[in-house]
Amino acid sequence: MEFTSILFYVFSFFFVVSSFVMITSRNTAKAALWLILTFFSAASLWLLLEAEFLAITLILIYVGAVMVLFMFVIKMLDTEQSTLRAQFTRYLPLGIFVSIVVIVQMALVLNAGPFDLEVVGLPEKHSASYSNITAIAEQLYTVYVYPFELAAILLLIAIIAAITLVHRNQTNSKKQIISEQINVQAKDRMRFANINKDKAKESK
Amino acid sequence: MLDIYLTIVLAPLLGSVIVGLSGNRLGRKISHSITILGVAISTVLSIYVFNHHVLNDADIFNQNIYTWMQIGGLNISVGFLVDNLTAVMLVVVSFVSLMVHIYTIGYMHDDKGYTKFFSYISLFTFAMFTLVISNNFMQLFFGWEAVGLVSYLLIGFWHHKESAIEANLKAFLVNRVGDFGFLLGIAFVLMFFGTLDYAETFSQKELIEGQTLFGGVSAITVVCLLLFVGAMGKSAQVPLHVWLPGSMEGPTPISALIHAATMVTAGIFMVSRMSPLFELSDVALTVVMIIGAITALFMGLLGIVQNDIKRVVAYSTLSQLGYMTVALGVSTYSVAIFHLMTHAFFKALLFLAAGSVIVALHHEQDIRKMGGLRKKMPITYITSLLGTLALIGFPGFAGFYSKDMIIEAVHYSDLPFAGWAYFAVVLGVFITAFYSLRLLFLVFHGESRVDSHTEEHLHETAPSITVPLVLLAIPSVVIGYLTIEPMLFGGWLENAITIDSSHHALEKLKSHFHSAFALITHSVVTLPFWMMIGGGFTAWVFCLYRTDWAELIQSKFKKTNYVLNSLYGFDKFNEIIFVKGALKVGNLLWKVSDMALIDKLLVNGSAKFTRYLGAFIRPVQTGYVYHYAFFMIVSLMLVLGWVLIASDYSFFS
Amino acid sequence: MIALSDYLILSSIVFCIGLAGIFINRTNIIMILMCVELILAAVNTNFIAFSFYGSDLSGQIFVFFILTVAAAEVAIGLAILTLMYRNRGSIDIDVTNTLKG
Repeated sequence: MEFTSILFYVFSFFFVVSSFVMITSRNTAKAALWLILTFFSAASLWLLLEAEFLAITLILIYVGAVMVLFMFVIKMLDTEQSTLRAQFTRYLPLGIFVSIVVIVQMALVLNAGPFDLEVVGLPEKHSASYSNITAIAEQLYTVYVYPFELAAILLLIAIIAAITLVHRNQTNSKKQIISEQINVQAKDRMRFANINKDKAKESK
Repeated sequence: MLDIYLTIVLAPLLGSVIVGLSGNRLGRKISHSITILGVAISTVLSIYVFNHHVLNDADIFNQNIYTWMQIGGLNISVGFLVDNLTAVMLVVVSFVSLMVHIYTIGYMHDDKGYTKFFSYISLFTFAMFTLVISNNFMQLFFGWEAVGLVSYLLIGFWHHKESAIEANLKAFLVNRVGDFGFLLGIAFVLMFFGTLDYAETFSQKELIEGQTLFGGVSAITVVCLLLFVGAMGKSAQVPLHVWLPGSMEGPTPISALIHAATMVTAGIFMVSRMSPLFELSDVALTVVMIIGAITALFMGLLGIVQNDIKRVVAYSTLSQLGYMTVALGVSTYSVAIFHLMTHAFFKALLFLAAGSVIVALHHEQDIRKMGGLRKKMPITYITSLLGTLALIGFPGFAGFYSKDMIIEAVHYSDLPFAGWAYFAVVLGVFITAFYSLRLLFLVFHGESRVDSHTEEHLHETAPSITVPLVLLAIPSVVIGYLTIEPMLFGGWLENAITIDSSHHALEKLKSHFHSAFALITHSVVTLPFWMMIGGGFTAWVFCLYRTDWAELIQSKFKKTNYVLNSLYGFDKFNEIIFVKGALKVGNLLWKVSDMALIDKLLVNGSAKFTRYLGAFIRPVQTGYVYHYAFFMIVSLMLVLGWVLIASDYSFFS
Repeated sequence: MIALSDYLILSSIVFCIGLAGIFINRTNIIMILMCVELILAAVNTNFIAFSFYGSDLSGQIFVFFILTVAAAEVAIGLAILTLMYRNRGSIDIDVTNTLKG
C-alpha cells in the first residue's frame, strides 16, 4: 500500500466521520466546529490531488472567513434547543433511508465502471518546480477572465444586498423627494395678504 | 355609347350627392334645379337610347365597366347590358322620375326637408337605373337593395310621425324576407352556373337542366322560385304585400315614384330579364301565375273598403301588380312589360292627382270628407278621369290594351290552374272598375262633404303640380294604342326575352291580333268589357244614386266586412307568429342560453372550477422550506432510481 | 493506487450525508446552511478529482468560482437569518410559513 493511499484513507475517514458527527450534533456551535474539521480534511484531500492553491484557499476563506461568520451568528442568536430536539427523532429514519438509497444508487453508477484505474490512469506527476498557482493564473486571466470579472461583480452585489438587508439606522441625510416637489400647489407657497386700500391711497 | 349610358346612370347620383351634402347652403331653388337637371339629362338620353336601340335596331350592348372584386375564379364587376328591354325601362323610369321631381316642387313646398327629399328621389333614380342596366346578378342585387334602402328612407321621411317609422321598418323587414329568398336564388345560380353574369348564365342552360336539389326537387324550379320570392317581396305579391299600404305614410310623390311606377316593378322586370331561366320550369311559372292571380283578385277586393284616398290607389297598385305577375306566369313577358309601362304612367298620374287633392284640402286624406271637387279643381279632375279610364280598361286607353292582352293570354295558356286564374283576372276587372269609379265619384262628384273652412280656400293647385299631371295623362291615353303592336308582336323585346316553344300563349295572342283599332271595336263583345261596365254601374249606384244602399249592404254582410277591413288578417298573423315568436325565441335565448348556459355554467362555472382546483392543490404549498427540500431530495432519489432502472440494469457489470 | 472512482464514491457519501443533514435538522436554519456547505465541499472534491485525473485545469477554476459564490451565498443567507431573528424573535422555522398557499 502506498503512502498516498494510506493518507487518502485517513483523510477520507476524517472527512466522512466528522461530517456525520456534525449533522447529528445537538449543539449548533459544536456542529460548526465539526464542520471546520470537515473542511480541514477536505483541504488535505485536495492537497493529495495536487490542488494546492485551492486547498489553502479553502482554509483561508472558508474556514477563516465563512465559518467565523457562522460562529458570529450562532453566538449572537438565541437558538432554542428544546423545539429543535423534538423534531430530531421524528424524521431520522426517513432521512437515513433516503440518504442510504441515494448512496447506493450513486455507488452503483460510479463503481468500477468507466472511472476505474484501468480506464482513467494516474496522470504524470509534476516536477518540483511546478507551481499550481501559476498554472491556475495562466488559465484564469486569459481564458476565464470574463467569468472572473463577473465573479467580482457578484461579490459586490452580495455586499450591497447584505448591507441593505440588515441596515437599521435611519439616515440623517437630506434627501429630495421629487414627487412632493412636483405636486406643490400655489396655495402652499403663496398667501394673499390683505393690504388696506385706504392706507395705500394715503401713501400716494 | 358607353358615355351616354354612364351619364344616364350617374347624372341623378351626382345631383343627389351635391344636393344631399350642401342642400341647405345652396338653398331650395338651386337644389331642385340641380336634381331636376340631372334627371332631365337622364330622361333625354334615355329617349335617345330608346331610339337607338329599339327604333333603329342597334346591337345589344353588354360590357363590364369595372371589376368590383375577384373572389377565387369568380369575377364580380359593374357592367351594363343595354338591350330593348333595358331601353324601355330606362325611358319609363326616367320619365316618371322627372315628372315626380317637378311635382315635388309644389307638393313639398312647405316642408322643412325640401332639399333632402330631392336628394333622396334622385338617389332612388340612380339606384333604379343601376338595377335596370345591370348585366349581372350582383349589380342587380345592389340596385335591389339600394332601392329598398331609399324606399325606407323616404317612407319614414316625416320621421316625427310614429306611424311613418313603423311603416318604414315594416317595409324594410318584409323586403328583407324577399331579399333573403332572392339571395338564396342567386347563390344557387352561382353554384350551378359558376358565374353571375347574365349572358354566361343564359347561354349555359345545360348546366342546370336535370340537376336536382334537396333530394329530388328540380334545381331550376328551386332557383326560379327563390328568385320569385325576391320579386314577391319587391313587387308586393301575397303574402309579402303587407308593406305597401303602410308605405303610403310617405309623401305622395314617392308613392307615385316608388310604389307605383318603379320599385315595385323591379320584380316584374327581374322575372322578365330571367325569362330564359323561368322558361325551363313549368312549376315555377304556375306558381307565379297563381300568386299573381291571388294578388290581383284579393287585393282588389280590399280596395273597395278603404277610406283613405292613397290606400285605395295603393291596393289598386297591388292588384295591378298581380295582373303583371299573372302575365309573367303564362310566359307572355312582353305583355307584362307592356302593362308595366302603361301602369307606370296612369298609376303615377293617379297618385299625383291624389296628392294634388290632398294638398288642395290641406293634407286631408279621408275620402268621406271630400266630394264635388270637380268644379273647383278642373285640371286635376280631368287628368284623374283620364287615369281612371285607363286603369279600368276603357277601350282605347292604355290600360285597356294591356289588361285585355293579359286576360286573353291567361285564357290561352295551358298551365294548370289557368282556368282559375282566368276567372280571377276577369272578376278583377269588375272590382277594379268598382273601386276606381267609387274613388272618382266620392272625391270629385256628388255633394261636397268638405270641411267648410277648407272649402273657402279651395282652388286648383299650382302649375308645378298640374303640369306633371297633364304630361302623364298624355301617355296614359295614347301609349297603349301606339305601342301595343310593336312591343308585343313586333319583336321590340325579342332580343331580351326567351320563350319556350311549349308555352303558346303569346303565339295565340299574336294569331288573334289584327290591329289596335280592331281591338277597340272587338271589345264590346268580350267579357271584360261588360265586367267593366258592370263595375262602373255598381259604383255609380252605391256612390251617387243610392248611397244608403251601401250602408245596408255593410250591415248585412258584417262578417265579410270584418274580414276585408282587417285586411285578411295578414298583419295580425305576422304579429302573432313572427313578431311574438321572435320575441319568445329571444327570451328563451336570453334566459336559458345566455344567462343559464353561458353565464352560469361556462363563465362562472369555469371560475368556480378553477377555484376548487386551486383549493385542492394549494395545501401542497405549506410554507415550510424543509418540506420543499424534502420533496426535492425524494424526487432526486426517484429520478436516479428511474434512470438506473431504465438503463437495463447495465451497472451490474 | 487510488482510482478516480474512489474519490467519486467518497464525495457522493459526503453529499448524501449532507442531504440527510438537511432532512434531519430541518427546523434549524443554521444547521441547514451548514449542511449546504458540506454538500458544496463534497462537490468541490468531485471537481478537483476529475481535474486531477483528467489533467485538465478547468475543474480547479470551477471550484474557484464555486468558492466565491458559496461565500456570497453564506453572507446573504446569514443576513436574512439575522433579519428574521430581529423581526420574529426566534429562528424557529415553524413560524416562517408565510409562504403558505
